[in-house]
Formats: sequence, structure tokens, C-alpha cells
Amino acid sequence: MKKNRNSEKMMKVCLSLTSLILLLFLGACREHTGHDGVTDRIKAAETKPSDQIQIDSVPLPPAKSIRAQMSYQGGLFWVEARKEKIGRFQCSQCHGNQLARIDQAVELAHGDIVNRHGAENKRLACKTCHDDQDRNFLTSAAGEKIDFDHGYQLCGQCHFRQKQDWIGGAHGKRIGYWAGKRTLLNCTACHNPHAPKFAKRWPTTFSPPLNQ
Amino acid sequence: MMSCRKSCNPEKQTESKRSTESACSRRSFLKTAVAGTGLLAGGCGSGMSGTAEKMHLNWQEYFKGNYRLMTPTEKEATVSRLERLAKIKYKLDVQISTREPVQQVLFGYAFNISRCEGYMDCVAACVKENNLDRKSQTQYVRIFELEHGRMDIASGNGKYFHEVPVADHFYMGVQCFHCESAPCIKACPTKATWREPDGIVVVDYDWCIGCRYCMAACPYWGRRFNWHDPDVPLGELTRKQHYLGNRLRRRGVMEKCTFCIQRTREGRLPACADACPTGSRVFGNLLDPDSEIRYVLKHKKVFRMKEELGTDPKFWYFSD
Amino acid sequence: MTKSDMKSAVNFVRDSVAWSLSGGLGYQLYLGILMLFMVLGLYAYSVQTSQGLAATGMSDIVSWGLYISNFTFLVGVAAAAVMLILPAYVFKDKDLHRVVIIGELMAVGALIMCLMFILVDLGGPERAWHLIPGIGLFNWPSSILAWDVIVLNGYLALNTLVPAYILFCHYNLRKPDERKYRPFVFLSIFWAFSIHLVTAFLYEGLPARPFWNNPLLGPRFLASAFAAGPALIMLALALISTFTSFKIEKTVFNKLRIIAVVAAIINLIMLFSEVFKEFYIPTHHSESALYLFFGLKGHASLVPWIWTAVSINLAATIILALNPGKNHPLVLFPAAALLFIGIWIEKGVGLIVPGFIPSPMGEVVDYSPTWVEICITLGVLALGTFVVTLLIRPALVIEERFALQEGSHHHG
Repeated sequence: MKKNRNSEKMMKVCLSLTSLILLLFLGACREHTGHDGVTDRIKAAETKPSDQIQIDSVPLPPAKSIRAQMSYQGGLFWVEARKEKIGRFQCSQCHGNQLARIDQAVELAHGDIVNRHGAENKRLACKTCHDDQDRNFLTSAAGEKIDFDHGYQLCGQCHFRQKQDWIGGAHGKRIGYWAGKRTLLNCTACHNPHAPKFAKRWPTTFSPPLNQ
Repeated sequence: MMSCRKSCNPEKQTESKRSTESACSRRSFLKTAVAGTGLLAGGCGSGMSGTAEKMHLNWQEYFKGNYRLMTPTEKEATVSRLERLAKIKYKLDVQISTREPVQQVLFGYAFNISRCEGYMDCVAACVKENNLDRKSQTQYVRIFELEHGRMDIASGNGKYFHEVPVADHFYMGVQCFHCESAPCIKACPTKATWREPDGIVVVDYDWCIGCRYCMAACPYWGRRFNWHDPDVPLGELTRKQHYLGNRLRRRGVMEKCTFCIQRTREGRLPACADACPTGSRVFGNLLDPDSEIRYVLKHKKVFRMKEELGTDPKFWYFSD
Repeated sequence: MTKSDMKSAVNFVRDSVAWSLSGGLGYQLYLGILMLFMVLGLYAYSVQTSQGLAATGMSDIVSWGLYISNFTFLVGVAAAAVMLILPAYVFKDKDLHRVVIIGELMAVGALIMCLMFILVDLGGPERAWHLIPGIGLFNWPSSILAWDVIVLNGYLALNTLVPAYILFCHYNLRKPDERKYRPFVFLSIFWAFSIHLVTAFLYEGLPARPFWNNPLLGPRFLASAFAAGPALIMLALALISTFTSFKIEKTVFNKLRIIAVVAAIINLIMLFSEVFKEFYIPTHHSESALYLFFGLKGHASLVPWIWTAVSINLAATIILALNPGKNHPLVLFPAAALLFIGIWIEKGVGLIVPGFIPSPMGEVVDYSPTWVEICITLGVLALGTFVVTLLIRPALVIEERFALQEGSHHHG
């Protein structure tokens, strides 16, 4: 009789131990679901963090950039200055605002340019983008001068969807820093304006064979 | 003294070929050679005293605690020990930062699958920036070539090496997705891996015991293990390092993408995003409603890999 | 503790050591061979220490191999001691009560092997102190691996203390006080289930690995353990009965056979259920099973193993169930050995390795252990066998002395 009671007691102890351990186990599980999802955290963040911009290591926009003639959702931004990267700028040095009258001038000065912009059988003409009157400028479809540093204004006339994404941040890229003054690469930093499609090439590296 | 300098000279000539791995083995070779010819007295700049100092530093390093529990003084002490050890072992000056997360910052990443052309500049930049082992060709970032009509990464080819882009194919990059509910963190028995306040999932390389349970728990194959002593050419070593980032790992510990913590905490872009020639990689602060990443999330249709697993990754895919 | 207690404890240890090492030439030779394997394992481990885990066949894709496979299987062997403890202590089965000590000591050996397998698998075994609560940082209750550390060490303590107490009393020729050890026996019964369930949850809890992320894994672990464990105990008892003066009745073997058969049948039903789920409408999640049973993308290193395992498993279960030899040793023991080996393959390499293949990114690689891995594994297995032998030998001497004294008391 006594023995029976004893083992009964033991069973109770075991049962309560079991349930205790199970509870702890559930504790380990709950942790996962109790967490706020990242989408909720994003939704909750509606105002621009004030001190986010002030990371001491982030410089002001690099000297060779220029303020864009438009703004993005966060206000003003900067773009990379292009003019000094154009080898033969100023164009007026040769052109004097008209056609250069030298034999084979096109081959000598611009032989490297292959026009692959536009449909295959209907490429764009030089004058579509370059200002006929003032060679130091580009021209819009409406005939307005566009500075080489603001080439995005020109490209955006046709590629307005890409321009929209570029302003917002889904197309193109920032220079070096995610924080600080927003400075973007110009369209022509990545796209050759005369052949804007990316060329086929070999990848820079490769992934090792993970099996022999 | 002079003869010793001379005998050290061949080392200089092969400077470009020196690596973290060979530095150790050559050192021990030199030591025996020097001892054998009885030139011990002069020492080789960092002779016996260097060895003793190294042992002392390693001893102190062995008993240090988990990074998260260190006081600022302890952090400073371990960093100076690690920098000194790098100096003794590789004769290199490295700077190991312990920069804290920036307030009100939660890092997020978006990858444009209609822009990526598969050039793999990101992979090469990552290997260089993060001092990844060259011998086993460790890579944090991988690019898969997928056929149009499928979105399943397992059907992709992660080992392509041909001219890219290939017609009727698209490219998808994978790396650690820095999940908010990361299974790897939950798995680790020693709390050697955790999510920082800015959302980066990091590993304390000196606290990890190398059980590899996190590796089994990761549904994205985001983690890499050091099966042997990592081999990094010293000439290519990135010396600007972070304790939780690209500092040199040891054998037998886990490592992974840290969103280039050594760069991003300073406001810079991660190496992969910086290197991308097509602008397919968008990185920024998820808590800043004006950021590029937030623009993508708002204006593009995005998806996350294996979202059904509830891991809540901070890495989205989108298309134009 | 009084002075005389102290003295008898010292005598107990001294005599136990003496008994464990004493034996004929055959016994010494047997210990010598085990030691040879341990030395081989030690040498292989020194190679692994100098080269790192690169000396093994594991990779970033198959990141666990032979070590963890054996660990998983041996946790089951340790847990299976409960199949003797439960009938012996709870249902007061006289036959099994006589051999329960052997089961408990085998559990100790199995647990030591488990811990050794974990240790040799670690990338930084010298930093294992990070796991010790208090000095280290223990991710509990979140990490199932932390749970496993607790339950394995707890079970080791229970299975050391209870037999040690009983043997100590028997050594001093007195009856152990039931009230003192019964709570621990009950605890160890509960604990035995928990060690194997927790080990199963280690895998079951990972959505990253669909092959493991299966609620049947825990129950199947128990069923396979309660089949393989008694099969191994049966073999050990047969050896003891043949080579020592400690004789074991046929009824014990019959009872063990029945336990193993019931568990093996349940195991096979669950295996069938799993196979059905994987192959009736195969999904992405079936790729690991596909790799295991039929091979994938030209990789098929496990296919012969799993089919061998399943067939000998099935054959052994049928033989043990129908019992054609009426417990004849020449039928019973080979069948038990087959069942044990079948489950070893299926639950070891057949469970751990395919969990990693294909990788979460769909890559298929093969895994095969290197000589270093195999030698270390052999070394650890030899160590476990060595420990079990050294524990069981004095235990049997003490038990026989006690039984003799009991018998003379009854006669007198």
C-alpha cells in the first residue's frame, strides 16, 4: 500500500517535471513569433531620422559633383560632374560652333564613336542630342540647351521611366556613400551614350566548383 | 646582426606572394634554421621576445569574453592586442574598429533582377574587401544564372563562366540576407552570432566554437566555415577592419557577409554595391523614408527569397 | 560522510579498478586491441588538429558528416537503456532487473562516445568552455543544441550515479535503499525519452532542411533507438554470457527480442509513411530523399547504403518477429546484429548527410569520409567500448558476490 502511494507520488513529480520542461520548450518557440516583422518597423518609420546624416566619417558631396536641377523625395541631390571626364571638352576648341572643315576630321577625332543608339535600322542622328549651334552643349527635343553635367535631362526625355527610377533610387547608383548628401552617378557614367546597351563580356571572376 | 638582415632579404623579394598562411609556416621554418646555425643571439627583429609576446597576447586573447559583454575598455584592449598580433605575425599595420551602430539606422538591401548582367564584379570586390580565404575560394556573394520562366534559385547555374549576359537568362545574387528572425541566431549554442541594432547579423569569431549548427539552420546558405587556416595574400589585405567584420578569421570558426560593417557603419556602401557596374544593388537605411531602399520597396513589386519560412530577410529582389 | 564510509569508498574504487583490469590473456588482448584503435584515433585527431577540419570530407555544403551521424545514432543507444530500466524498476521484472546494470553502463559508454563525437567535430574544441553556463554564454532556452548539452550531461550523471550507488551498496554486501535511488530512476526514465527527443528536435526544428523538418522525426528516433538499443544489449549479453561466469537466461533474450521487434515494426511503419510522403507527389522538399534513395544529378553515393540498410532492417525485423530459430543463438544474434547495423546506417549517415543535399541553393555534392574521419570514428568507438568493458567487468563481479551472499542468507 505504502509502496503504491510512493510510486504515485513519483509519477506526480515526473508529470510536473515533464510539464515544466514542456513549458520551457514552448518558451523557446514563442520567442520567434513575438518579434515585430521588419515590414512593420519600416511602416512605423515615417519621419526622416535627424542624426542619420551626421555620420562623422561621411564627407560633403565630392568636389567634382554638381547639384541636380531637380529634387528627389528627400530634397536636393547632387550628380557627378561629367564635363572634365570628356577628353576633348571644350568642343568649341575645334568646332568653333560649326562643322570642322578638315579632311577626314570625323575619322580622326571621333573614329572611336560607333553609333548604336536607337533602333537597329534607324539610329539617332548626332544632332538629336548635340546642339548644332553651340557644340559645348547638348540639346533637348524642344531645342533648349542642356549642360553636359546635366545629361540626365537629355536621356530622361525618352527614358522617362528610367529617369523616374533614377531620381527615386531604383535605377543608377550613389557614389561611395549610402549616407550623407546624396550624390549620384550621371547616366553616362555607366552607359556609353553612343551605345548605351551594356556589352557582353566575361565575368570578372567565377564561383569555385563546389563538387569535383 | 648584418647577416641576419641579409638572410631576411629573400623574404622582401617575395613580398607580393606573402600570405596569411605562408607567413606562419615560413616563420617556423626560419626559426629552426636560425636556431640550427646558432644565430639566435641577434634575433630577427621579432625573435624570441616576439614569440614570448605573441604567446602572452594569445593567452590573454584566449580568456576574453563575448564581444557583446565587453566594456569599452575591454574592447580597446582586445583590439590593441589583435593589432599587435597582426604586426608580429605578418609585419602589417591593421586598424580594427569597434565602431558602434548609428542610431535610427536599419540596413536593407534590394537587388534588381532585371538589371544584373552577371559580371560578378561584386563577388571579386567582396573577396578583396572582406579578406576571404583564397585557397578554398570562399565567396559570400554568389550569382546564379536563371532561365526565363523560372524563379527557383535551385534551377539556376551558380558556376557559369562564359560571356554574359546570355540571351533568355537573368541573374540573381544571393548572400546573407540578414534576417530579422534569423534561424542561425536561434541555433547558436553560445550566442556567438547575433543581430546588431542596425540589423546586421554578425559573428564573434573569437567566441564561435565551430559547431556549425547555424550553418545547418540557414535556409539561404549564407554562412561559410573556415575548414583550414584562411589564406589571404598580404599584399591584397584590406587593413581597415572591423572587429565584427573583415578582420582576419582563424581556422575552425564561422564567417559570413556583414553588409561590410567596416564600411557601412562609416556611411559607405558595401563593397558589392559599390562595385556593381549596372546599379543593380540598392543599399540604405530602411528607417529613412526618403532612402533609395524605401523608394524601391514603395514603388516596385518586390519579393524575398523563401519568404514562407518566416525568416523576415532584409534583402529584397525587384525588377524594373 | 564518516571515516568508515570514506574507507569503504576508497576500497570500492580500488577493487573496481583491480577487477576491471584483471582477466585472462584473451581479455588483455581484447583491451590491447581497443587501445590500439584508440591510439590510431588519437593519431588521426592530431592530423585533424594540425590541418583543421579540412582533413575531413566535410564541406560548406555537407557541413556535418560521420561524427554527427554517429553522435545521433549513439544518443539512441544511450536512450535505449530505458527499455531495461522501465520494465526492471517500474514493472519489477526479475529477469531484466538482473541485467539492468549492464544496460545502464552501456548508456554511460554511449554517452561518452556522443560527447567525444561532438568534441572532435568542433572547429575550436579549446573554446568549448564558452558552452559552460556561468563562465561561458549559454543560449538557453533558445538553442536546441544548448538543450542537448544539458540533457546529455544530465543523463550521463544519472546513469553514472544510480549504478554507482547500487554497486557501492552491493559491494558492501548490503541492500541499497530504494527510497534513495528510485526518484532518480524515474527521472532517468523521463530523461531517456528527452535526450532522444531533444536530439531529434535538433534536426526537426530546422525549416532550412526539409528532409529533417518533419514532425515524425522525433517519434521515429525513439522507435529506432528502442529497436537498435535492445539489439545491441542482446549482443553484449551474449558476449558476457559466453566469456564470463555471469550467465544470462534465455528468457532475458526473448524479452529483449520482443521489445526490439515491436520498436522495429513501429520504426518501419513510420519509415514507410515518410517514404510515401516524399514520393507520392514529389515536391522540392523531396529532393533529399530522392538523392538518398535514387541519386540526383548524377550523384548517388548514398544509394547502395540506404538500400542495404532498408533491406537488412526489413529482413532482421521479419526474422526477429517470426523467430524461426526459437531464440536459437545462431539465428537470434545475427538478426540482432543486422537490425543494429541497418538502423546505424539509416539513422546515421542516411539521415544526416542527405539533410544537406541538395544545398539550400540547389547544389548537389557527394560526401565521403576521409581516412582521418574514419580513424577518429573508430578511435571514439573503441574508447566507448573500452569504457563500457571496464565498467561492466567490476560491476558483474560485485553483483555475483552480492547474489552469492543473498543466496547464502536465504539458505541460512
